[in-house]
Amino acid sequence: MKQLSAHKSKSKGVSYAKWGYIFIAPFFITYAIFTLFPQMLTIYNSFFENYRSGLKQVGPNFVGLENYITLFTPDKNGTIDILKYAGNTVVLWIGGAIPQIVIALLLAIFFTSYRLKIRGQQFFKTVIYMPNLIMASAFSMLFYTLFSPVGPVNQALLEWGVLEASFDFFAHKVSVRGMIMLMNFLLWFGNTTILLMAGIMGIEQDLFDAAQIDGANSVKVFFKVTLPLLMPILVYTIITAMIGGLQMFDVPQVLTNGGGTPNRTSMTLIMFLNNYLKTSKNYGMAGAISVIIFIITGILSLVVYRSLTKQDN
Amino acid sequence: MKKALALLLALIMVLSLVACGAGESPAPEAPKADAPAAEAPKADAPAEEPAAEEGKVFRIYAWNEEFKGFFEKYYEVPEGITVEWVINPSDGGVYQDKLDEALLNQANASDDEKIDMFLAEADYILKYTDTEYTQDITALGVTDFSNTYEYTVQAASDSNGVVKGVSFQCCPAALIYRRSVAEAVLGTSEPAEVQELLNSWDKFNAVAADAAAKGYLMTASEAATFRVFSNNTTAPLVNDAGELVLDQAIIDWQAQAKNFADNGYTQTCDIWSDECTAQMFGDGKTMCYFGPAWYFNFSMGNAQDAEKGCYGDWAIVEGPQAHFWGGTWLLAATGSDNPTMLADVMDTFINDEEVCKALIENEAQFTNNQAVNAAYAENPEYGNAFLGGQNDVAVFVELAKNIKFENKTIYDQLLTEGLQGYWREYCDGTVTEDEAMANYYKYINEKYPEIITP
Repeated sequence: MKQLSAHKSKSKGVSYAKWGYIFIAPFFITYAIFTLFPQMLTIYNSFFENYRSGLKQVGPNFVGLENYITLFTPDKNGTIDILKYAGNTVVLWIGGAIPQIVIALLLAIFFTSYRLKIRGQQFFKTVIYMPNLIMASAFSMLFYTLFSPVGPVNQALLEWGVLEASFDFFAHKVSVRGMIMLMNFLLWFGNTTILLMAGIMGIEQDLFDAAQIDGANSVKVFFKVTLPLLMPILVYTIITAMIGGLQMFDVPQVLTNGGGTPNRTSMTLIMFLNNYLKTSKNYGMAGAISVIIFIITGILSLVVYRSLTKQDN
Repeated sequence: MKKALALLLALIMVLSLVACGAGESPAPEAPKADAPAAEAPKADAPAEEPAAEEGKVFRIYAWNEEFKGFFEKYYEVPEGITVEWVINPSDGGVYQDKLDEALLNQANASDDEKIDMFLAEADYILKYTDTEYTQDITALGVTDFSNTYEYTVQAASDSNGVVKGVSFQCCPAALIYRRSVAEAVLGTSEPAEVQELLNSWDKFNAVAADAAAKGYLMTASEAATFRVFSNNTTAPLVNDAGELVLDQAIIDWQAQAKNFADNGYTQTCDIWSDECTAQMFGDGKTMCYFGPAWYFNFSMGNAQDAEKGCYGDWAIVEGPQAHFWGGTWLLAATGSDNPTMLADVMDTFINDEEVCKALIENEAQFTNNQAVNAAYAENPEYGNAFLGGQNDVAVFVELAKNIKFENKTIYDQLLTEGLQGYWREYCDGTVTEDEAMANYYKYINEKYPEIITP
């Protein structure tokens, strides 16, 4: 704070502040045009009945909160769809994110450790980042082919005598979700590793040395030095991963051919939204779902942010 | 201070990302923008001007390569015109979605970008014929329907009887059986005898049990028989009040599918899946498939495979119930800038005897020209090698007499895909019957908000 006020008094004569605003203005302008305005429009659209029937347009007719009411009306079996899909999304995200962050953290520590001095780092870093370069849809197409009932995985398992009859990986909740989690983990752990490495390398080496001289073992160093100082980056990583996770779409969409099979247990929120946009172009319902996703994302981000940064207070 | 800033930045990011996902929906197509587009094609209607100045690009929308192959082989494109194909897969309604977008934008598209002709299938042809997005082909000069099958003309006509297109094929469907399996299960592979043993659903179901006992599959997918049932309904899937009503025939199929799946008479998989088509290889164990000529000559590629398949080990009979399935119609898009070529293409594929003969001889098609078909049906020399020399045209000529184009809706493709998909989960035992149907109704509500589900 001292530094800050000293700085302030210095610049009293000539104000350069306006240049700062001018330089950041392009971001805010594009943000307003391409993000804020469409967002407002989405909210506006969610109050209308507005879809296409065949080649004919129905609406837009103002219907108030009816789209939201429809979304939260339980079906005959007592399930509220949107909550079910929100649950699916969170399960799919957590299942992929926990291994992703743990493994990434471990790798980041190994790669940055001065004691381990891993050779060929550049090579490993490239390799673990590699899956991220593949298009997610191509990656799930690959899994789809590999795990199909007549695919190589089933054939190998049959040949080795592990299975007696081919196993339909796509007819079981556990296997479908498992595949989605595995794919998301593989796609993203390299990216997270790089981010966390940058974070760890930003920590002063003196602190590690000091801790070691004081007799701390590497586990202690990790929990008492690395982790607290890495927190801002970790929080950033988790929040971005969560936002990405809540918008999970391409992997399950391609893997289950848009059906979220079995029994819609791998249907994510965005897939649900997409169902309304295809064919019927139902902007009313899709808008309402978007608004709900927005609220859920906002709340979860706040919760994560609060819970991970409260130690600072 | 720092924290507040960090929070703000994080929130902005959340906002921007969420808006990205959502932004797709409203921005490009604000509802009002649609209104003029919907009316606009009328303005373009007078397309029947003399053929002096016509477009350079003939643009065709299709969902697979089937017709493209025939077109490239048998149609001579006039000099100076390039043909552009826009092909999108039919699965999940993708083709219809893309086509709809293009048709709605037809009036604003430049001449080269305008759709001249598009293909449509029996499951959704009504969606296009009864609108101003298709035009009267008799006005373009296609007037000779004396040799085409009546149902193909009826299907391509709007509610006032104005003809909007033609089909290049006629699609009576048959039971396609594997001779060697039939020999093992039924003790015969002669079409007449096989038909006698499979001419009702009771017999068919009983034979399925025999086949399973002998280590064979009756069908390769529980949905293989769907079209036979669904083509024999007494009412459309959606009634005049806009309610979804499952006909008794559909309910019978559901019972059969579950029965077959539970007893291992079939596999539970999509009819287009690798699992289903893998059964068409030489080492497959499946006896029966159902489909018209296009099914065995276009969709049974694995069986046709000279090295791994079972070419010549097949034959066709009527089966338990007469039915037809699919068919590809060529529809004339309103606003086409190539009316002369458009009319010529349509006329060629229904009335040019040489082309129709080539379609039968080289492509194993059953054409939409009764005279040509009749000539092959009566020709003792003609036989289809894939079917072990059987004269398929003769079988189809008989079956074509039963075709009635009725009880169709504009929703049939997706309603059918959805029903098969969600019912399969019940057949698999993943969900209860109630859950399967509830999921199906949800799917319909998403695809077609206007349909009232139970």
